[in-house]
Amino acid sequence: MTDRRRINAPSGGTNAPVFVNPATPADSLASQRPTRTRAPDELRKIFLKTGLVPLASGSAYLELSPPSAPPTKTLTPSRTSLKLTCAVHGPKPLPRSAPFSPHLILSTTVKFAPFATRARRGYIRDSTERDLGVHLETALRGVVIGERWPKSGVEVIVTVIEGEEDGWWGDGLVGGSSGAGGGGWGLMSVLAGTITVASAAIADAGIDCVDLVSGGVAAVVRDVDAKGKGKTEEGLQEGESLVLDPCPAEHKDMVAACVVGYLAGRDEITEIWMKGETGGAADVLLDKAVHAAVASVTVVKEAVKESIEQKYKDVLSSGQGGFRGPNITKEVEMTG
Amino acid sequence: MAPVQAQVLLSPAELSYLHSSLSLDPPIRPDGRSPTQFRPLVAESDILPGANGSARVCFADGTEAIVGVKAEVEKSQWQPTPDKETADVDMDDEEEEETGVGENSWVEMSIEIPGFRDDDSLPVFLSAMLTEALLASGDLKDRLYINQRFHWKLYVDILLLSPPLSYPLPLLSLTTHLALLSARLPALKSEKEEDPLFDDDWEASTPIYPRSGRQKPYSAYLDKPPVTLLVMAVGQNIIFDPSKEELAVAEAVLAVSCAASQSKTSEAVRLLTIRTIDPPSRLTPPGIPNLLNSATGGVVPVSSTDAMAQREAMSLLGVWTPPRGGIKRNLVGRVLKIVVEKGGVAEEVLEALEKVEVES
Repeated sequence: MTDRRRINAPSGGTNAPVFVNPATPADSLASQRPTRTRAPDELRKIFLKTGLVPLASGSAYLELSPPSAPPTKTLTPSRTSLKLTCAVHGPKPLPRSAPFSPHLILSTTVKFAPFATRARRGYIRDSTERDLGVHLETALRGVVIGERWPKSGVEVIVTVIEGEEDGWWGDGLVGGSSGAGGGGWGLMSVLAGTITVASAAIADAGIDCVDLVSGGVAAVVRDVDAKGKGKTEEGLQEGESLVLDPCPAEHKDMVAACVVGYLAGRDEITEIWMKGETGGAADVLLDKAVHAAVASVTVVKEAVKESIEQKYKDVLSSGQGGFRGPNITKEVEMTG
Repeated sequence: MAPVQAQVLLSPAELSYLHSSLSLDPPIRPDGRSPTQFRPLVAESDILPGANGSARVCFADGTEAIVGVKAEVEKSQWQPTPDKETADVDMDDEEEEETGVGENSWVEMSIEIPGFRDDDSLPVFLSAMLTEALLASGDLKDRLYINQRFHWKLYVDILLLSPPLSYPLPLLSLTTHLALLSARLPALKSEKEEDPLFDDDWEASTPIYPRSGRQKPYSAYLDKPPVTLLVMAVGQNIIFDPSKEELAVAEAVLAVSCAASQSKTSEAVRLLTIRTIDPPSRLTPPGIPNLLNSATGGVVPVSSTDAMAQREAMSLLGVWTPPRGGIKRNLVGRVLKIVVEKGGVAEEVLEALEKVEVES
């Protein structure tokens, strides 16, 4: 489907040129591949803040800590990180034309900004973005208590400002492969971040949920020089190890990855997306992804607590009689 | 706005009845199947003369799908390769020119479902899921490599002929599997880096999924395309190939893709992808207990918020409440075990599908 109303850039996308010094042989380029400096079970630091979009009823911004890369000779950043914003509009009444719904209608949109990845993305959502939107909807649908808002809808819009790459930029030049699934690994980190940020934004919007959902991602990687890195779990093959929160640029060969949307309070999973050849380690991989989700839910909790304290600052400071909620003079009954 | 899915018109009382009969041990399904039994189906393959491979599957409930697999020769994008002069520092010895490495973009899938636009979430989700499973099994895209400049581009076009009476995933997956099994590519006559030239004798063509024997009663496939199974859970029961009515009371729905394993390990099949599917049961209307219904001697709450609070406070048996939350973690493990284990459902399905072409 093409947009006929504007003049679009070439559909194939444009790449910023990456010039490789021809004097440097391939192996010196290969040595520029970033390496994972974190422990296998250590996540990147998460920055999460809610309430940044004043016009939305709830919003959140998530950023994974940018890599503290050693100084390189090239201008190309060695790895990418993740920056996401999420705005929640609603719950608001459905348009008159919409059929009756006894539930809250949740619509989720995930959109990469055109400049989010190395290859340019168009303005119209492509199939991977729609697919991510469906994943996010699945993750959130089980959490939001929809019966409490009949005849209303809520829109969750996530914009990816900077997306995770599917692999290292030099892979095409030195002949690295992105593994069995052949790329798409960056999307899994993006989905995990998307679930986390949407959860914080929904909490900020004050929509009733059964629990705070959070996203976590874990991967099976095959590293040639990963002697002693990671524990060899049951079911994994020689040289494979499990890492939490993988950065695809740091691993030459990713074998499998799993994203979960996890409700820590209920020990339930609302969303699983696993792909790749796990061998017999599917269970272990799932557990690791849950560990990652448990780690990220603490950040969500802190961010939500902070935003509530910010919102009800005057109530908390003045009122000695405890927490009473905002000063609403008259309750408004929604009719129609 | 989410597309309005064809809702099952079941009352809360019917939903509750269905739910309790499915949570019995063993579960009683509305059509009398056992939990791991599939619906009867009619299948044939290699039906379209204009396609490289094709199949048609018709389920007993009237849903029918046709899949055509077409292949085209396409120019590959130029890839910088490590220089021959500096081959002594080349670290990737496993990447030889002889066995080219395929790219994900060489397989394209399109799904046409009546009543849905092609950018609606259902077709997008289904095609993403099926493509992912196809690519995850690894070898397929490497077989599309011709030489450094050319490759095959495989188009898998899925056409659902009937309206989606139930969740069409198992149907589409089985049909795609059969179509790919029957797909053949013309034999290559040209040498390595020449412009590709093909043998026009169709008898000489090579199947995409090769078999161990070339004679007409084919022996076993060396490698098979993946199948995607739809699994749902009600209570502690795990039910395969759910019908539309059963999905309306599902507590969790999973799509599990697997392929036959090449090595003789303890597990008969390899797990490729898992995805959760949003169960439609979350959108069913909740039942109203007698205590809150004035027609049955109950007391109607004054306001709607009051009704909500009272309704959520009680948990009554036999009054339908749409499920909330997600899947318990141990349930996922049990589902995977049932699918993957030796003599499990996936192995059975793969074996049954192989027989389709042997007989035709």
